[in-house]
Amino acid sequence: MQHMSVSRREFLKVAGALGLVAATGGSLPLFTACGAKVKTGQTLKVGSMTPSTGPAAEKGKPGQDGLLDCFNYINTELKGVNGHLIEPVWRDSKYDPAVVATIVPEFMDAGCLIFTTHASAEMTAAMAIANPAEFPGISTFTSQTLYHPPKHIYGQMPDYGDDWIAFAKYYLANIWKGTGKPRMALHLLNNSTGKGAEYGADAMADTLGIQIVANEQHTATITSAIDSLTRIKAQNPDVMFISSTPQPTSIILKDAHSLGLYPGITVGCAHASFTSALVQLAGADVSEGVYGVYSTVTWTDNVPGIAKATEYCKKYNSQDFGNMDYLSTWSTGLVIAQILKQALDNVGYDVLAKGDVNSWRAIEKSGIQKLNGYGVEGMTAEVGYAPGDQRLSKSLKMYRITGGNITSIGNWIAAPYIKYEDYSWFPKS
Amino acid sequence: MDLPTGIRSFSYGEDMAVFRTKTHWFWLLLLLAVLFSMPLFLANYWLSVANLIFITIIAATGLNILTGYCGQLSIGHAGFMAVGAYTSVILTTRFGLPFPLVLLSSGIMAGLIGMLFGISSLRIKGFYLAISTLAAQFIILWVISHWDSVTGGTNGLPVPPAKVLGLVLKSQSDKFYLILIVTIIIIFVAKNLSRTKTGRAFVAIRDNDLAAEVMGVNPFRYKLLAFFTGCFFAGIAGSLFAHWTGYINPESFPFTNSILYIGMIIIGGLGTTVGPIFGVIFIQLLDVLVTHVSPTLQAAFPGLSSGFVVGIAPMLFGVTIILFIIFEPRGLAHRWQIFKTSYRLWPFSY
Repeated sequence: MQHMSVSRREFLKVAGALGLVAATGGSLPLFTACGAKVKTGQTLKVGSMTPSTGPAAEKGKPGQDGLLDCFNYINTELKGVNGHLIEPVWRDSKYDPAVVATIVPEFMDAGCLIFTTHASAEMTAAMAIANPAEFPGISTFTSQTLYHPPKHIYGQMPDYGDDWIAFAKYYLANIWKGTGKPRMALHLLNNSTGKGAEYGADAMADTLGIQIVANEQHTATITSAIDSLTRIKAQNPDVMFISSTPQPTSIILKDAHSLGLYPGITVGCAHASFTSALVQLAGADVSEGVYGVYSTVTWTDNVPGIAKATEYCKKYNSQDFGNMDYLSTWSTGLVIAQILKQALDNVGYDVLAKGDVNSWRAIEKSGIQKLNGYGVEGMTAEVGYAPGDQRLSKSLKMYRITGGNITSIGNWIAAPYIKYEDYSWFPKS
Repeated sequence: MDLPTGIRSFSYGEDMAVFRTKTHWFWLLLLLAVLFSMPLFLANYWLSVANLIFITIIAATGLNILTGYCGQLSIGHAGFMAVGAYTSVILTTRFGLPFPLVLLSSGIMAGLIGMLFGISSLRIKGFYLAISTLAAQFIILWVISHWDSVTGGTNGLPVPPAKVLGLVLKSQSDKFYLILIVTIIIIFVAKNLSRTKTGRAFVAIRDNDLAAEVMGVNPFRYKLLAFFTGCFFAGIAGSLFAHWTGYINPESFPFTNSILYIGMIIIGGLGTTVGPIFGVIFIQLLDVLVTHVSPTLQAAFPGLSSGFVVGIAPMLFGVTIILFIIFEPRGLAHRWQIFKTSYRLWPFSY
């Protein structure tokens, strides 16, 4: 029997040729399949990112669940938007600007018509890519720098400056009993979440009659606030406002408790931290009596949106029940569906089918900017677009933690439009 | 260098050449051809992933010079990247300097700041030096966060696109070419640096700084030089990062990135030129894989807690580092070396 012998040189030639074919021809379809625009068919693609892991995961994970459950509800029970199913393209941003910088091009490549971020910090990183491309985005939690001056980014909720103003108004009208100006300390996260509240205070503190006596910053990974709270205590404030995420806020509250600063003064929180995660992290006893601002109703309110959110939350993500972040992104899901409906009604599916810059322009001009008086199934105050004002929802509610529960203590408070870009101290983009 | 049988060197220059045979040159040219043609067949998403990979390779290469070659552990590398990034933005927007000069200045500024923190390396080493570089990370970011008038504070700064030879590099593919070319230059410099007198002094200090000093190597000088070079590369990476993302703030350079870079060079292989390349590609593509598989997993196994699915990436990263430290402490570079040796000998076992 004759042996089939292959010399090493012959083998290498064949292997090299095969390798070359694989490297050039073989990999081409793979890469193009991965990256090129796919036919959207009859679906409406929506890109969504949440910080489901990383330093803001306690907010991002329920935010992810709320948004995806809402799309599931829209597709299952409402049969999509005008018969077109929403196709979510969800990614975990890890709260990392570098990751965000890769996710936005992916959404654009995938033919998404619009994209959402959960955190304002995510949108801060995303808008540098999205704005030049005219790719419209909606951030659930917002800061003024995202849309002052207005470009292609919108806020689903009022911004952190609105939080400060709403809380300050409520405090002056309902809590402050002293004479002269109340002394307020700020404890702010060292990013757009904290900075947004500071801008609100800078713009309105004098007008409202509030004296800012301290402005302390903290990081998202803070482990102690004793130093900063000691400095705040030395200023003898009447009230402290915290604009941060739940984890750092819980540490500030616990340390304020241990220093004897709270109870004793009034504490208010911006909406980024005011959720059940805060109560769980800080403890019901420590967080008792803390005030907070939020732009949705709460789980106990009797509105159609809450009934559906409760049903889906208990069915698919029961661990999120009671979490306000779930409700905030559920609301974002409903607003996105309404924007898509407006756009479909105004320009038709063919314009949107391509998922290109013309589709994005149509979504913005004929979808977002046509929003007017949409009720969001009672989840938030009515949303709508006013020229120049990129905030879709413009009202907030006051809440208070009592007995470990977040309880409503007032009606919707309108947040005035402030043209921040006219202030000399506001950063120019 | 391992060479196929029959290859001899007739001069020192020939002996020192990185690419010796026609096969070497063939593979190099093929690799360059594939790399430079990537924008023709990759979509924007994959280009952005490639851009991030190349920028991280530059940063990890710098860390590898400092830690892998010279043995000076640094856990503040992201901080030095931040110095480069902010220098780049400030020189571009406030002084309107041309980008090549800006890029170089960013590296020099980061290198100088790195040297400042490296001074302590003469008296302390190991964990103590690591803590010193950790301080660098926090001090740098604290200064950036609080120097509002220059750095924009926590708000950050918008970054205009880089302009090279009159071309404004706006698209992912434009940026890809810039980043790729700089990465190639950095790898070339790093490869050659490791074979110079300086590179050998780094290795001598890493292996035994007392013995190195006895042999005439000035530890202080070379340790500072290692800090300058490693941080210079980090500054270059920071500058490219800023112009790639279009926006920077202190959160763009988290402490976790400094740790991640150490993990990357461990997985890739400390003290080798290809180590950081392999480590970065491995970790970044693993991350991309998990990102894309997670939603599918979630859909396929609705019974799984959704927290479990999103937690796969960090768990996988941790497990990978542990496995590499246990089973392949010399990293992927060593596996690559074994592969190349086997390939040259095949089908003979000796």
